[in-house]
Amino acid sequence: MTRYIIRRSIQSFFLLWLATIIGFTVYQLAPGGPLQFLSDDPKGTSADFNRLTRMYGIDRSIGAQYLAWLAGEDWLPNNATWRTGRCLSDSTRCGRGILRLDFGKSFYFKGESAISLIIQRMPATFILAFSSLIISVVGGIPLGIFAALYRGRWPDHIIRVLTVLVSTVPDWWIGLLLLIVLGGYLGVVPLGGMETVGDGSLLDRLHHLILPAIVSAIGGWISMSRIMRFEMLEVLNQDYVRTARAKGLSERAVVVRHVLRNALMPFITGLSGIFLLVLSGSILFELVFSWPGMGRLAITAINSRDYPVMMALFVISSFLGIMGILMVDILYSFVDPRVKYEVTK
Amino acid sequence: MRSQSNLNMTQVKEQTYWGAVGRKLLHDKITVAAILLLTFMISISIGASWIGDNLLGFDPTETNLRYRNKPPTWLLESWPQFEEFTQSCQLKGLSGCQWSWWGEVISHALTGIPNCFNAALGQCHWLGTDQAGRDVLTRAIYGGRISLRIGIYVAGISMTLGVMMGLISGYYAATLIDDIINAIIQTMGSIPLLFLLIILSRIFQPGPEGLAFLLGIFGWMGVSRLIRGQIFSIREREYIIASRAIGASIWQIMFRHMFPNVISIIIVVGVFNIAGAIIAEAGLSYLGVGIGPPLPSWGNMMQGSLGNFTDAPWLVLTPGLFIFLTTLSIYLIGDGLRDALDPWVKEARE
Repeated sequence: MTRYIIRRSIQSFFLLWLATIIGFTVYQLAPGGPLQFLSDDPKGTSADFNRLTRMYGIDRSIGAQYLAWLAGEDWLPNNATWRTGRCLSDSTRCGRGILRLDFGKSFYFKGESAISLIIQRMPATFILAFSSLIISVVGGIPLGIFAALYRGRWPDHIIRVLTVLVSTVPDWWIGLLLLIVLGGYLGVVPLGGMETVGDGSLLDRLHHLILPAIVSAIGGWISMSRIMRFEMLEVLNQDYVRTARAKGLSERAVVVRHVLRNALMPFITGLSGIFLLVLSGSILFELVFSWPGMGRLAITAINSRDYPVMMALFVISSFLGIMGILMVDILYSFVDPRVKYEVTK
Repeated sequence: MRSQSNLNMTQVKEQTYWGAVGRKLLHDKITVAAILLLTFMISISIGASWIGDNLLGFDPTETNLRYRNKPPTWLLESWPQFEEFTQSCQLKGLSGCQWSWWGEVISHALTGIPNCFNAALGQCHWLGTDQAGRDVLTRAIYGGRISLRIGIYVAGISMTLGVMMGLISGYYAATLIDDIINAIIQTMGSIPLLFLLIILSRIFQPGPEGLAFLLGIFGWMGVSRLIRGQIFSIREREYIIASRAIGASIWQIMFRHMFPNVISIIIVVGVFNIAGAIIAEAGLSYLGVGIGPPLPSWGNMMQGSLGNFTDAPWLVLTPGLFIFLTTLSIYLIGDGLRDALDPWVKEARE
């Protein structure tokens, strides 16, 4: 088991390194260079452009730029091949590299560092992500259990209708419609945001949270209940369940003691996928509900071509996703002793 | 005994697999309805310019700045009342809603409909106008061209990639090639793909084909995993070993013997992929990084509603309903195909 954990950790570390390369490539892909937007400014001259190119160090080789972005430039040789203009003239302004959590300064939010912008918005995204996770677990598990126990009856129909619904309309569109009707017309829920200005009470925050959380939980809810239903049916067909019934246990005891316990295990794996989905899907929901989280920051960064923030968001959300999957895998290996660590298929 | 069975054989009409599939499909009323609906959606988008010119009288890109964000023409009279109703709800809470105003709202709307039918070409906006005064219905019909095209392209690209990768990694299971493909899939599974997709489409600002390409190369992993599993389960079957023994080449084995085993899965997954791609395109265009305006697509039509969705709900509703009708029909066809293609469907369902 220790070997498995070590191997998975090394794998995750490697994945993370790949993510930094992908994130950095995005920076290089920008047509006309990442500072292209500066030439949109009618007052800017080519001398200004060259000065800024030197200041941000975009004239360096790709390898030097990656190294400085990854590990910082304060330990690199003090010349223009390795350091940015800022760092050459004033060594206190050297970038410290993403390994030391310095993602550089934002282009758009002047003077703010990318990491502090993200940290400010992280709580909002996490509140939404975790409340929708809780809703999908609380709603999905019982629905899946009942659908498996009463096959072909109403829980099954609910799952089927909801499955068709989420696979045939964008889930953010459902949110938009609900927002128009419930928020815009009936005034039951607020039209967006996280709290009313000047009123930060818990009740007000919950009032703002309820619709976004429910709508962004729909997708997870469906996949949770479907996984749960499938696992339950698998376990219900096992020999030990038949044995349990044969020895005269009540149906409730069979389900609670023998079926549920075993059906819940593969379910943990399902969690990792949903964890990733919640983070990646937050962009559209945050736009619809004007939710002041990382997704909104991403939209602003993308629309204003704020590359340092884009790269930072990409690397940090990759990190969260990879760590989420790793944790779930490790947790799974503790919970289910039958899991095969070495060869898969 | 023997002659009797021979007699029966001649009486039973010869059935091919695909013939049986087709018959099963047409026997299923829901699937037939879905096929009709999809045919309708495809034909209105193919005939969009004819419908726009001869039935509606609008051009999808023609702006009319004096007629922006107007409700459907037949609702023009009842709209102020509807807005008063919503204001009554906003002011006094749910209990203060003046539900009685709905009578007038409905009666005005009902008198509006015949007027709209009798109106001259280009006088009635059946589904309102957008933020630039363009006719929403015309744009939605034209939008189908882009959205359906993207759906089909994406399904084509991701299925081709996914099937190739799945066949190769299934055939070479537990070798270096398989490991490499698995590593690629794992990497793509653990980075925020949607975010990367948004960044890339913002940087390159692709047209419909480019966007389809991006969506396709990010969407083949699930297909590949599915195909790999299937191929893995048949690769040691006798007929594969036999054909290997008589010296068949790898490509022959893959495409002559393995591919036919997974073709039904490919068809079903491909159909579902089209629906998924239409929804994905809508999301990207809604964010403003997919298909750019003047070209209408269902996603970017909704983007125009960002600031004023409560004042102009038809901007949200119309494209959404077009998406819903199209993807619903595609989904139901996929569902019907899954049942029809699988001879053991009865057991599989339970």
